[in-house]
Amino acid sequence: MTVLATGPGTAERPALPAAVPLAITSAGVVSAAGLGLESLGGVLDSGGIGHSAPVGDDADDYPPLGVRSVEGFRLRDHVGRKGTRNLDRLTGFGLVAAKLALASAPAGAATDRTGVVVTTSTGSTQSLMDLAGDTLLQERPYLVNPSRFPNTVLNCCAGQIAIWNGLRGANVTLAAGQASGMNAFRHARMVLSLGRADRLVVGGVEELSAPLAWGWHVSGTLAEGTPIGEGAAAFVVTTSEAARAGGAGIAAEVLGVEVGFHPASRGDRAVAVAEHVRRALDRSGVAPGDVTEVSPGSTGLVGVERAERRGISLALGGLPPVRDVTRAVGQCYSTAGAMQVAGLLAAWRGDPADRPRLALVTAVGHDGNIGALVLREGGGA
Amino acid sequence: MPETRRVVITGLGAVSSVGIGADAFAAAIRGGRNGTAEITSFDASGFPYRMAGEVRGFAPREILRRIDPDRWGRSGQLAAAASRLALEDSGLEPEAVSHGRSGVIMGTTSGEATVSSVLGEQWVSGRMKEFSSRVVAQAPASQISAAVGAELGLGGDTLTVPTACSASNYALGHAFDLVRTGEADLMFAGGADAVNRFTHAGFHALGALAPDVCRPFDKDRAGIITGEGGVSLLLEPLDSAVARGARVYAEILGYGVNCDAKHMVHPDPGSIAACIRDAHASAGITPDQVDYVCAHGTGTPTNDATEVQAVREVFGERVPPISSIKSMIGHTMGAASGFGAVVCCKALHDGFLPPTANVGTVDPALGPDLDVVPGRGRDAAPRIVQNHGFAFGGNNVITILGRPA
Repeated sequence: MTVLATGPGTAERPALPAAVPLAITSAGVVSAAGLGLESLGGVLDSGGIGHSAPVGDDADDYPPLGVRSVEGFRLRDHVGRKGTRNLDRLTGFGLVAAKLALASAPAGAATDRTGVVVTTSTGSTQSLMDLAGDTLLQERPYLVNPSRFPNTVLNCCAGQIAIWNGLRGANVTLAAGQASGMNAFRHARMVLSLGRADRLVVGGVEELSAPLAWGWHVSGTLAEGTPIGEGAAAFVVTTSEAARAGGAGIAAEVLGVEVGFHPASRGDRAVAVAEHVRRALDRSGVAPGDVTEVSPGSTGLVGVERAERRGISLALGGLPPVRDVTRAVGQCYSTAGAMQVAGLLAAWRGDPADRPRLALVTAVGHDGNIGALVLREGGGA
Repeated sequence: MPETRRVVITGLGAVSSVGIGADAFAAAIRGGRNGTAEITSFDASGFPYRMAGEVRGFAPREILRRIDPDRWGRSGQLAAAASRLALEDSGLEPEAVSHGRSGVIMGTTSGEATVSSVLGEQWVSGRMKEFSSRVVAQAPASQISAAVGAELGLGGDTLTVPTACSASNYALGHAFDLVRTGEADLMFAGGADAVNRFTHAGFHALGALAPDVCRPFDKDRAGIITGEGGVSLLLEPLDSAVARGARVYAEILGYGVNCDAKHMVHPDPGSIAACIRDAHASAGITPDQVDYVCAHGTGTPTNDATEVQAVREVFGERVPPISSIKSMIGHTMGAASGFGAVVCCKALHDGFLPPTANVGTVDPALGPDLDVVPGRGRDAAPRIVQNHGFAFGGNNVITILGRPA
């Protein structure tokens, strides 16, 4: 068999076409700031922080670490008691965020053409630990609760969002670490632009627990004082073309989204970040100088926060005003990207501008995941 | 709809309980060999049912060239090893994949479950201060695809799809879309999962474990055998494959995806039938063109009855031969439909139908004239095959592969 290389590297490959714009028509968020975009906007606007003490039965078992947690959350308050007994906190966050987003979404797409894209890290750590307790501490290792076992499977939340809302389109759970949010929107573009679904609920969900906090604590990846966070953000997304054709109000448009992988062993990550930002801008048809603000995702992460900001500066010729959500809602890892987008929507809502703002949303993970997303403020209805 | 290119599979990698390397794997499957045995990877003595499809001979250092296996969980090791094997199988130079338009999509059900098991045991016994940063860093599901990216030097999309037991098929479908639209030039797609106590306990609690062997479609089928493995397929545009004289196993013709949106663990025949129709429409084929169905075929009474009902609903009088490789390797969870895809590629390329092992009497309740290819593989010349993956959460994904014209 002939053995040949496939050809030139990326630099010499033909440029890719402009990205098909996506419209975010509504959003739902559950965070340490409370429920809904308005709560988040209020906290961001005042420069405040969300609820900053551990909650739940294991609150006393947390390590000494800053947290931003969702206080007083009871799923049944939002969706009724029926069918909620065996659901975990993580799935509850996702269900409420999706419910809020869908409640304010324009009517239109059929439920069998509506799909779900959810990002996660490990699913519910608490459910995993409950299962560990059952199989390791009980008299018999198989005496685990069969109604709760599905909670430990990582696509539980996406499946439950489909079940509770009757959404029968493509249903997927994604994990790309810190860059999960950008991967979710990139995936959404593929699904929508190829007509595999007409409408998607796109979001992320993370849940705090004492074991997860211990994991963060020993990881050595958090800069001193960086709080960890939890919650969910969900967005109803169509192509912009479909949103306009249907007369839907557009909160914001997702233009270029570029993702990639560049572990530290391959050299300066700032340069890699800059490349992703440039590609995202190019495919958005946007000049570096048009970017009005940035929302970096790696705030408070040792080693990558600086690379991220340096990379942005390299690509834009300077660092525009930073709109950071980490202080308010904590470092939410696989849900950071969704929280960054929600933070921009919330801030824009509360502070109308003369012309649409244009934000750059980025992510860099210790593992090498990189993402850059261009978000343009919508014209409303 | 953007202009798209044709996408083919030119490299296969398998790390399985019946063999390491796609050739060894496919030969074992064709021969109907059983890879399941008593569990050794954890203390299963307290379980009444102790069989699993473990990958016994896996020595990651013998396969991996770049990453240190100690820094990655078992699922990541399996995924990276399978992908390294797929790259070698493709005939591409290793440097040919080190660029920004090469990537990886890996499916999984339980992520790095052996890592979670270590952390879980420490936590429930109050030893959280023994958590090690090295182990914690291995825990996110994203590390499965990151292991592949780090091993092969990939620079593009690096994504894990934890969509449970149809995840490899979803990965394959998404990778297909990335390559056909030009977003990527080379993609590795597949999946990985590891046998572990949590999954074994969970399936036991659901009443889904078989006591001895997995007998899909059999009147006495009793459930699944938990399994593990890593699997990877290399996708590239047909044009570049032809230009470099590559061996082309199969063309990806299309795929279908939907969600039951009804129940977390019970499959729905109407929804599966709709997914099959969606897959056929995507591939531009009609049911009569399908020569073989690689079933989800878990071997539980419910799955096999539901799956056959859905297949009959679409295919009517002429149901193609349908078999389940889970009879030999157990249920490899997030890797399952990836192993199905590999065996489909081999079936198209080498000319055979994969068998269902351990079948005594086909369940008469499944209806008349059901050809489950019992026992050993059968020589045949399939042109178009259909690969099933269903999952918790009602996530159905079906891929359609064709012999390259």
